[in-house]
Amino acid sequence: MDFSYPVEVEQFRKELRSWLSANLTDDVKDADRRRGRDPDAFDTLRAWDAAVADAGWGAVSWPQELGGRGATVLEQLVYAEETTRARAPVPLNVIGMNNIAPAIMHYGTDTQKRTLLPRMVRADDIWCQGMSEPEAGSDLASLRTRAVRDGDDFVVNGQKVWTSLGHRADWCQLYVRTDPEASKHKGISCLIVDMRLPGIEARPLVTLNGAADFAEVFFNDVRVRADALLGPLDAGWQVATTTLSHERAGAARLYAQIEVQLADLVADLAGHTIDDRPVLEDRGTLRRLGDLAVRINYLELLCKRSISATLHGGDALGSASLAKSVWAELGQDLAALAYDVLGTNERWVDRRLSTRSLTIAGGTTQITKGITATRVLGLPRK
Amino acid sequence: MNLELTEEQIALRDTVRQFLAEKAGVAGYVRPLLDDSTGTTDGVWRGLADIGATGVLVPHEHNGAGMTMVEAGVVAEELGAALYPGPWLSSAVAAARALVRTGADGGLLAGIADGTDIATVGGLSGHRPTANGATLSGELAAVPDVAAATVLLVIADGPDGVGLYSVDPLSDGVTATARSHVDPTHKLFDVALDGAAAKRLADAPNDVVDALTDDVIIARAADALGAANTVMNLAIEYAKVRRQFDQPIGSFQAVQHLCVDMYESVELARSGIIHALWAADAAKPADRHLAALRAKAFAGRLASVGDTAIQVFGGIGFTWEHDAHLYLKRLLGWSAYLGAPDRYLEEVGTELVSELDRKVLQ
Repeated sequence: MDFSYPVEVEQFRKELRSWLSANLTDDVKDADRRRGRDPDAFDTLRAWDAAVADAGWGAVSWPQELGGRGATVLEQLVYAEETTRARAPVPLNVIGMNNIAPAIMHYGTDTQKRTLLPRMVRADDIWCQGMSEPEAGSDLASLRTRAVRDGDDFVVNGQKVWTSLGHRADWCQLYVRTDPEASKHKGISCLIVDMRLPGIEARPLVTLNGAADFAEVFFNDVRVRADALLGPLDAGWQVATTTLSHERAGAARLYAQIEVQLADLVADLAGHTIDDRPVLEDRGTLRRLGDLAVRINYLELLCKRSISATLHGGDALGSASLAKSVWAELGQDLAALAYDVLGTNERWVDRRLSTRSLTIAGGTTQITKGITATRVLGLPRK
Repeated sequence: MNLELTEEQIALRDTVRQFLAEKAGVAGYVRPLLDDSTGTTDGVWRGLADIGATGVLVPHEHNGAGMTMVEAGVVAEELGAALYPGPWLSSAVAAARALVRTGADGGLLAGIADGTDIATVGGLSGHRPTANGATLSGELAAVPDVAAATVLLVIADGPDGVGLYSVDPLSDGVTATARSHVDPTHKLFDVALDGAAAKRLADAPNDVVDALTDDVIIARAADALGAANTVMNLAIEYAKVRRQFDQPIGSFQAVQHLCVDMYESVELARSGIIHALWAADAAKPADRHLAALRAKAFAGRLASVGDTAIQVFGGIGFTWEHDAHLYLKRLLGWSAYLGAPDRYLEEVGTELVSELDRKVLQ
């Protein structure tokens, strides 16, 4: 058993760290904080993603010819740790790079791979993913947006919701129902849709904290060329569940991100007093901080176990879905502590509100627990 | 980075598991020893020695296996899973590490390894007895396994500084009184030393005592992990077969979520504890210490696995006849050991703040 990193991985860390310290400006970090509220911030973040990609530090897990650098799993882990700790912005196309690109690599044509993917990494094109619908939330496979074949085209009608950056996107990976007669998982297909096509309307969806990171996207008789199909017809559910075999260190971002938040919180608590006493000498507050610190450390170690298992053929169990729900709960508890102590601080008030999404987005904690119960623990389905 | 057990470690785990299943089951072995002050029998102790479990941490030159805390953790987890009530943690971990960490002469280590000696350690926390010439006087609170022990090792203040002393627990001037506490599978004693004959084995400077305390905490954490993991699995298997409303109760979401909550706590604890076991031998002292603090700080959460398991069992889990309460008591004993989790949560919080302070100052 060995928790340390090999020397060559530490060398990779050193190179990345030195590139980040030379290139990551306060301007960029500031733009990251204004993300979702300020159009100028969007342009700054886009330029940053291009700079990262041009320096060879974008999509590090991808093959070189597609704009990545073929990083090993441990290098990916270190990449997530270092970029997060340096407070580098998460790429605008993070959903595209993590969720859409794997499907394009697996099912796309060579032309699609070579034209779409490098532009995705540079944020030349912004990507969104059309999955959730008003009537298809946790029950995603019940989606209703229809695509009907008409000559060389599909004609698409329907509505998507919770589409990240839908109002900014150039491309959409769209899930549509192509066979209404088939059972619900079997009649879905995946299309790559140009968001400038006539009949598409994207409206910003303002969330409870006033931010507009999401959109509702409406499709009204949109004609999409049939060659926009990604993967076989009616095999959209398999496309959606394609995972990137060489992108296995994403979990590292979870713990690194929450470690950074904990450090930020302690920095904000320093100098703060309650009843003329420093809050960092208050035993109750120290206990709550200690509780967060232990759980965050254990989340980190859980993620590393998962990565070790994939590297060495161990049993990964359900650690990935476990890590996600632990991370979500930690994010909420951290924001709750911050709000309880620093109630009027604008950033933490916002965080107290915005962290409600952590246990909803990407599968509610309740859905995740149900999956863990049946698939990992072997409990019977109803 | 490789966090998987080696083939050798898996073989050790399987050997211990099989031995306990055959010779020391809960119904046939643990329950009859609940009221026994030693918690051990010659046959099972010899068996543990024969499979190498008592000498796991004893260096090769003293006829031990010369392994690390990772292997000790593998054994501890199996013993916790079986609710083993004997003095293994005291002798094979606490005493063996006390002798190795202080560099004391190895005679006793060979006896620990082959099982002819059973040792325990007092004075790790609280007030220390005082040495006066070749005798010790003072009180030791909550020392484990004194009735089973042939040797009582004591950390005591002497004229030449803190030292590790050896005392015959049956000698004059030693009074051991069984201490009532929640977990009948761990035997605790309050010991009064009144001019008890003692031999100074080695110096025991503070950093050595701190390291030894961390070792004991970390090994006990692995024991508790075994207990939590087992009671969780028992509850999950029960939820698959217990039927109400014409279906297995494990098909109800409310019950499923209780099971996943247990699984989450157990897997988080496992992640922290295997790291702590590794850190006990391989990390810097500060990191090892923090890993031990975290394990104790998480003990309350781990004990809740016992609570939740009883909830899944329902009424049967509330009976004396069912084993669930023995697991809960093992976990509650761990939670209370060397102070309640709140104290450790506060310590981890304090460590966090000072660590971030140091980074700012750099």
